Amino acid sequence: MQKWNGETAAHLLNRGAFGSTAGEIEAARKKGLAAMVHELVDVKTDAANVPPPAWAHPRNIRAQRMEIKAAKNRGQNFQEKAREVHMMESENILDLRRWWVERMMTGPAPLLEKMTLFWHGHFATSVQKVKDAYWMWLQNDTLRRNALGNFATLVRKISRDPAMMIYLDLHQSRKEHPNENWARELMELFTVGIGNYSEQDVREAARAFTGYRVDMTTQQFRFTPMQQDHGPKNVMGRTGALNGDDIIDILVNKPVCAQFIGRKLWRFFVEDEPSPQIVDAIASSIRAHNYEIRPVLREIFSSAEFYSDRVMRTQIKSPTQYLIQTSKLLEMQLPSPIVAQNAMRQMDQILFAPPNVKGWDGGKAWISTSTLLFRYNFASYLINGDAMSPANAPQHCQDADLGFRCPTQLTEQIRRDPIDINKIIPAELREKPGELVDLLSARLFQVRPPDKETNAFVRYLEARKPDTGDETMRGLVHLMMSTAQFQLA
Amino acid sequence: MKTTLQTRRQFLRTSMLGAAATWTLPVFLEKTFFALDAMAADALTQTLTGKDGTILVVLQMAGGNDGLNMVVPYADDAYHRARPHLGFAADKILKIDNYLGLNPKLTGLKALFDESHVAIVQGVGYPNPNRSHFRSTEIWQTASDADRNISDGWLGRYFDNCCTGADPTVGVAIGEETPQSFAAKTPTGVTFSRPEQFRWRTSEPNNGHMSAEEMFFRQLNESEASEESAIITTDGASIGAIPGKAKSDSSTMDFLQRTALDAQLSSDKILAIARKYKPTVPYPQGRLAASLNIIARMIAGGLPTRVYYASQGDFDTHAGQMNAHERLMGEFNDAVTAFVADLKQQGNFERVLLMTFSEFGRRVAENANGGTDHGAAAPLFVLGGAVKPGLFGKHPSLVDLDHGDLKFNTDFRSVYGTVLDRWLKAPSEKVLGRKFRALAIV
Repeated sequence: MQKWNGETAAHLLNRGAFGSTAGEIEAARKKGLAAMVHELVDVKTDAANVPPPAWAHPRNIRAQRMEIKAAKNRGQNFQEKAREVHMMESENILDLRRWWVERMMTGPAPLLEKMTLFWHGHFATSVQKVKDAYWMWLQNDTLRRNALGNFATLVRKISRDPAMMIYLDLHQSRKEHPNENWARELMELFTVGIGNYSEQDVREAARAFTGYRVDMTTQQFRFTPMQQDHGPKNVMGRTGALNGDDIIDILVNKPVCAQFIGRKLWRFFVEDEPSPQIVDAIASSIRAHNYEIRPVLREIFSSAEFYSDRVMRTQIKSPTQYLIQTSKLLEMQLPSPIVAQNAMRQMDQILFAPPNVKGWDGGKAWISTSTLLFRYNFASYLINGDAMSPANAPQHCQDADLGFRCPTQLTEQIRRDPIDINKIIPAELREKPGELVDLLSARLFQVRPPDKETNAFVRYLEARKPDTGDETMRGLVHLMMSTAQFQLA
Repeated sequence: MKTTLQTRRQFLRTSMLGAAATWTLPVFLEKTFFALDAMAADALTQTLTGKDGTILVVLQMAGGNDGLNMVVPYADDAYHRARPHLGFAADKILKIDNYLGLNPKLTGLKALFDESHVAIVQGVGYPNPNRSHFRSTEIWQTASDADRNISDGWLGRYFDNCCTGADPTVGVAIGEETPQSFAAKTPTGVTFSRPEQFRWRTSEPNNGHMSAEEMFFRQLNESEASEESAIITTDGASIGAIPGKAKSDSSTMDFLQRTALDAQLSSDKILAIARKYKPTVPYPQGRLAASLNIIARMIAGGLPTRVYYASQGDFDTHAGQMNAHERLMGEFNDAVTAFVADLKQQGNFERVLLMTFSEFGRRVAENANGGTDHGAAAPLFVLGGAVKPGLFGKHPSLVDLDHGDLKFNTDFRSVYGTVLDRWLKAPSEKVLGRKFRALAIV
């Protein structure tokens, strides 16, 4: 049994969810470790039955393209129609980001959402190429429904996922010219990792995945046997008229696959550089559980390593974690969708638009001088309101990206009032700098920072005396969030 | 208050070496110091800074620039056949030779070309061209083969390989988002749209003097070294051993604190330069001109930057290209002309090399909407005081096409490799993974 107290409870809720309010931590402490792990991991299956955003249904891409083409051929101005479609897509993807972040923030199954985010980074797919928010929602739904389930099943579903198929050109793979993009990334990034397959394996696997199509009218997966290569193939020593699912079976049955997935899970939830022993341990757990993810997570969250000193409060928050955890810690509303989207972009994590098929590197890659300074300034906006004046809003109007709008339209959407500081600072502590700093440290860092920091916070309050008004209090919170410590979870 | 306008190196020298007690250095500074020391020892990889170093400016034309209407094969019948509406008549063209000429808007570029400051590399591209903006941009930014996915950018790998321990402003991108070409295992370089944005903003309104909040923010970042060493030298106890304190993976904490210090110092430096150096030549309106204006001021102020990055958008001219592309060419010409005039005035033109690129050129034949669709190979400009002028590579045939697009004959990584080897003095093989044919552009 692990030691269980406020600190470890907060740690579990930081890593296994998106952080927590002071009240949630106390409730978790009372419930105990086993009950909390159970609550996070054993979510009911209907937790994945999430109603989609209103616009998320197939809209017959083929008909829309025909319409644009017809206008083009008639010599009419097709641009207007094209722009209309583009604008609608911008609105939809913005709304999809809002929808998902709200689920992470307030949904009943935060670990389910966190694992969905893990798989989104693993099976990285970008709306910039897919260009349809419905397909991005559909993939998100598939990831959520399988997030805690069986890995092999998830890979098979992803091989039939329209967004992924379009992203890696699988939908255009013909038996005369098999496209190797999907087959290569399936091996390199999704299952066994580089160095564990040959170029020959890639070529043969590409042949096995022929016949996969996306029906542009229904916008669903369709298998076209006529396009399938039925000939014999040889992949990693197995021969036969292998099809796509056979390839996935071959890959998932490789022990290196369990190592690859296990290492990635450990890096996401626990620490950046797991030792070989830990990777071996988690890989054998994955194999023992037949690639069922739920029991593996239960073991991770119950392990001594997870609560060790070298792990607690050493993970650099991802931008998603930063946004949601901060909202919880300050007991405030999320910023408006357009602000959240722009902020995530400047912190280098745009949901539904990972930088490439490798997803986000995470860890130290989140932090550069620019992103760190942005985090510090974004904290000020979250606390004080309108610091992001329209003059500082993004300048791209005709941006090729979907979902970024002109600054002139932004003014209303970035308006934000200062937070209600009384929610986190009791009136009687305003005059007691030492106690106030301790209280806020417990809330923001869940630990007492080194004396140097603590002293600077206290001296700030003393320098501001006799002013103990809201502005001074917000200044203190901003100062405390403008630290290295606050970037860690 | 400590002096805030100093480079990290000065900061280290004065605060640390002055103390002459390296064993008291906080871990994160100690590592930085050793990195600098190792770098200084190795003259081959030493980073040139300040007034001495060569500088690369990368100018991205996003959206797929129509190369054929930028550098025009006006004497080719095939050009006029393929572009009955969009083709420029020979008498409009700024002629370079009896086959090629520049877009009528590129008057400043033409003058620079005549002064022998412009290299035009023709038919630049890569094997198996991809016609998706997203993917092809990624290929150019990462310098990968078309069938490989690489996350690190080519400039990020240059910073990783050649500039370890260098000032974070070794790479400066003007814009909202850090370009993928800067991506690296440990991100280096700074990104900002306006210098005044690249600073920590306090909660209090700015009333001219430093607020209490800012004062303590600076203390948190900067006085780390002197305070800790003072404590250690007085009582000799290890600070990390005091129980009940935040203990974290020291390397992550070091890294965050070092980055915060870097951000603070870079921000001070950039702001100070931006306030001090104002352009002495007029710049036109527009985002590209504003970006080049900032870059010129940073160069004038001696920011130790090796690579600047600016971009111009809207090149995706599927329809109504005539007006749109003309406007873009005009904007490009006027901004670059002002930039060059500014650099000449500063006496820095010899140190600066500006290179343009776009993710692809456009289809040879115009479409039914007075525009052009996504293409493949295209020319790019390399210009500067030290450039070897002229035409490089062969102009691709306008009749022997690949799916309607020009075939490349110069790999874009030949341009990168040449710039790395001959201009930035960095081993291109380490950055690009293999050697590409060098061009005589510098």
